[in-house]
Amino acid sequence: MKTLLVEDDAGLAEALKNLLTNQHYLVEVAADGQTGLELAETFEYDLILLDWMLPKLDGLSFCKRLRAGGNRTPILLMTANDTHTNRVIGLDSGADDYVIKPFDTAELLARIRALLRRGNALSSPVLDWGFLQLDPSSCRVTWRGELVRLTAKEYEMLELFLRNSSRIFSQSALIDRLWSWEENPTENAVRVLIRSLRQKLKQVGAGNVIETLYGLGYRLKAEQPGVETQQSTTHAVIKPQDGGGDAKENRQSQRVSPNARSEPKTSLDLSAVWRRHKGNYLNYVASLTEAVTALQAGRFDAAQQQKAQQAAHTLKGSLGSFGLIKASHDCAQIEQAFQAKTQFSQPHLDVLSERIQTLRKTLEQPLFPGSTQIAAPCQNSQLAHLLVVDGDAGLTQQLMSYAGVWGIEIKAAGNPAQARRMIAHCRPDVVLLDLCFPDSAEDGFGLLAEISTVQPPIPVLVFSAQESLNDRVKAVRLGSSGFLHKPIPPTRVLEAVAQVAQKKRQSEANLLIVDDDPQLLDILRTLLEPWGFNLTLLSDPQEFWNALEQTAPDFLILDVEMPGFNGIDLCQVVRQDPRWSELPIFFLSAHTDVETRQQVFSAGADEYIHKPIVGPELVTRVVNRLERRHALQRLAETDDLTGLFNQRRATQDLNRLIQLANRQEKPLCLAILDLDNFKQINDQYGHEAGDVVLRRLGELLKQTFRKEDVLARWGGEEFVVALYDTTAELGLELLKYVLDLWRQRRFTDAYNHQFFVSFSAGLAEYPQDGDDWQALFRAADMTLYHAKANGRGQVLRSRPLISAG
Amino acid sequence: MSKRILVIDDEDGIRELVKIVLQASAGWEVLTAASGEEGLVAAEAEQPDAVLLDMRMPDFDGQATLGQLQANGATRRIPTILLTAAENPDPQQPLSDLEVAGLITKPFEAIRLAEQIREILHW
Repeated sequence: MKTLLVEDDAGLAEALKNLLTNQHYLVEVAADGQTGLELAETFEYDLILLDWMLPKLDGLSFCKRLRAGGNRTPILLMTANDTHTNRVIGLDSGADDYVIKPFDTAELLARIRALLRRGNALSSPVLDWGFLQLDPSSCRVTWRGELVRLTAKEYEMLELFLRNSSRIFSQSALIDRLWSWEENPTENAVRVLIRSLRQKLKQVGAGNVIETLYGLGYRLKAEQPGVETQQSTTHAVIKPQDGGGDAKENRQSQRVSPNARSEPKTSLDLSAVWRRHKGNYLNYVASLTEAVTALQAGRFDAAQQQKAQQAAHTLKGSLGSFGLIKASHDCAQIEQAFQAKTQFSQPHLDVLSERIQTLRKTLEQPLFPGSTQIAAPCQNSQLAHLLVVDGDAGLTQQLMSYAGVWGIEIKAAGNPAQARRMIAHCRPDVVLLDLCFPDSAEDGFGLLAEISTVQPPIPVLVFSAQESLNDRVKAVRLGSSGFLHKPIPPTRVLEAVAQVAQKKRQSEANLLIVDDDPQLLDILRTLLEPWGFNLTLLSDPQEFWNALEQTAPDFLILDVEMPGFNGIDLCQVVRQDPRWSELPIFFLSAHTDVETRQQVFSAGADEYIHKPIVGPELVTRVVNRLERRHALQRLAETDDLTGLFNQRRATQDLNRLIQLANRQEKPLCLAILDLDNFKQINDQYGHEAGDVVLRRLGELLKQTFRKEDVLARWGGEEFVVALYDTTAELGLELLKYVLDLWRQRRFTDAYNHQFFVSFSAGLAEYPQDGDDWQALFRAADMTLYHAKANGRGQVLRSRPLISAG
Repeated sequence: MSKRILVIDDEDGIRELVKIVLQASAGWEVLTAASGEEGLVAAEAEQPDAVLLDMRMPDFDGQATLGQLQANGATRRIPTILLTAAENPDPQQPLSDLEVAGLITKPFEAIRLAEQIREILHW
């Protein structure tokens, strides 16, 4: 890391240089602003440490001039000016962060690390969006080469959106970025600015560039696909045009038409709130039931009438607000009934009683029965389409009544023939298949075999009332993704379906959140769950380490103050473990004092967020962090050819699983697979065919094993599989199936030569064959050697006496 | 620029629902009070940007709370929005006579609640 230190105080410069050199940073020192700027403009640095008060050129002018030249090197400003305004001015002039003198060296180093982690992703000088170009060096905006005249604020706003193309900016975030504190802007100012910017862009024909995300803020729209945008990046296209349209015409002709497109809504998951208060509402229902009982017994008095009416009234208002629209309507009618009468005819009473029963049942459902407009974690377009192929209409009905909450849409087929027609007509995302049909001669296996040939593959879950190992094995061989045993509660089925459907989608991020305030956890759940994050919410810090290893989070959110261990302790411990050194960590705290901030950053945190939490901001920050991390991780952790993890990532996961197995006292099975005679295959059929073989084996492993299993291409033709909570015996069975399937795969080279490939595998089990991954690996490797020596094409368990193949 | 809203409602479920919904969808800070008396104290002490008041509460009901809010110089200027399951809180008194910023009927659409409040208060 190369750092430029611009500091006129020779003593301080010397001290800082020593400090940084000790941390293995390369440091160059400039004693005045002018020299510093020349250096910064001539050489590339990873970071600039800049004093505010400098001879010849002060820190602020330095920042402005460097940024004006398009240089994006991160700048950390050092200042003795500890006023809010000054800090804001510093950041506005282009500095990325600041420290206040005298500073704590630990804080300084922490901030340097945080800045370097951010990296400078911004390199391209001209920003593009379709035909729209913004050139920061000349502050010009053009559409198809035509100049777009913008005010300074409009320009800044557009630049902000173009530079952060996937980020959602809330109104307050925009205010923070675009206005200074002195201007005291209102949220209305943002709307006005957005409107005027949209209008100007529309006038030149750019259409709507900025989209509104209801309740969240604004974001750059995704570029229209298929336009020849990418090629048109030559700067020569930009023709400065003078005159042209004048500002005053803007008002008369072009009015912004209301956005016709339906705007995506924030979805909220209120199920947790509902669960907590459900009991209260059931109590109200109980008083309705009491009223009916009293009526039937003929002892219904005015006090009871009032109580019943009140209960119905409350239920009407509240249930509807939770999204239970139908139930709310029913309550309105019940309220009316009680309002009008103290005596009911028997038929009327029966109807009333039945209504109340239905109401109670609706509320008693274990799942949140709210309508999709509130509870849907998935947008309509993301509903998973499930085809249920089952002779038992009862279970199908049950599944249908719960499916909405899971974001699943169900179609049903009563027999395989019907299912075939339906699949041909509309391709489902997942198929749930019974193996036996009472009124059809055909069983499910034939259909399963057919579906497994469909491309791209449709995952099939098999369920059966018969517990037979034979059926299970047969189903696995035919390519099923899972096996469920009847009887099974509908929720379990849907859970499995949702899992399979999700596996198909992008693998989502795991977030671990630790806060001792359960209500805050609920708020966070409500905020983050609709975004498809897997959340682990922890209110007891004692459980932290277990949860960390079990969930291997992609993101950690910690509360500063908690009983027992506080967040800073936890953060330090996490950072000391090399496995988690890159994990993004956010802190939540109600504290705003400098000391807490310092502690938090020195402990290794990435961001510090004040309570109360501003929802859209938090979501945006989390999403941004994750996106960047994912992009980097994908490059660093996966094997390009097979899409499996590489050795580096796999060893991390192995370590994690072994420690987990140790604490939970579970077995773990490690297998090394090696393709047989792979060199000859490459020589004989060519490397392209060899690559296909490797890719196919990767696919097969992914199809066969669970999400939590470790699957990696270790190198060359060697693969590693680690199965948690699996004995070597079971692993042996599984791998033998895989080998069976694999041997049947036919490969074809460029000259239409057909060939088959086998593999050999060696297995070892934790803890009996070794208690760390290296030892396990040696044991498995030794067994693999035996398998090869024994004639290849076989799977062996680590005690070579028990062989199979 | 984040707003602070005080919700006065005797129903635990609704208080929490409103809190979570406004916090999640608008980023507002939500204070809650479970009774009219509690609400009056909170309104005076916390000076929220708006009060969301349930009309029908046991003991000290919404009407009385509203009267007290308006009688007190320290809370008079805080805009108040009524939350009610009836279309008109009191048939004897038309809505226009009440000094309130607006009315939101229960059931409300949770996801639109913040937007409704914004519309009423011109935020």
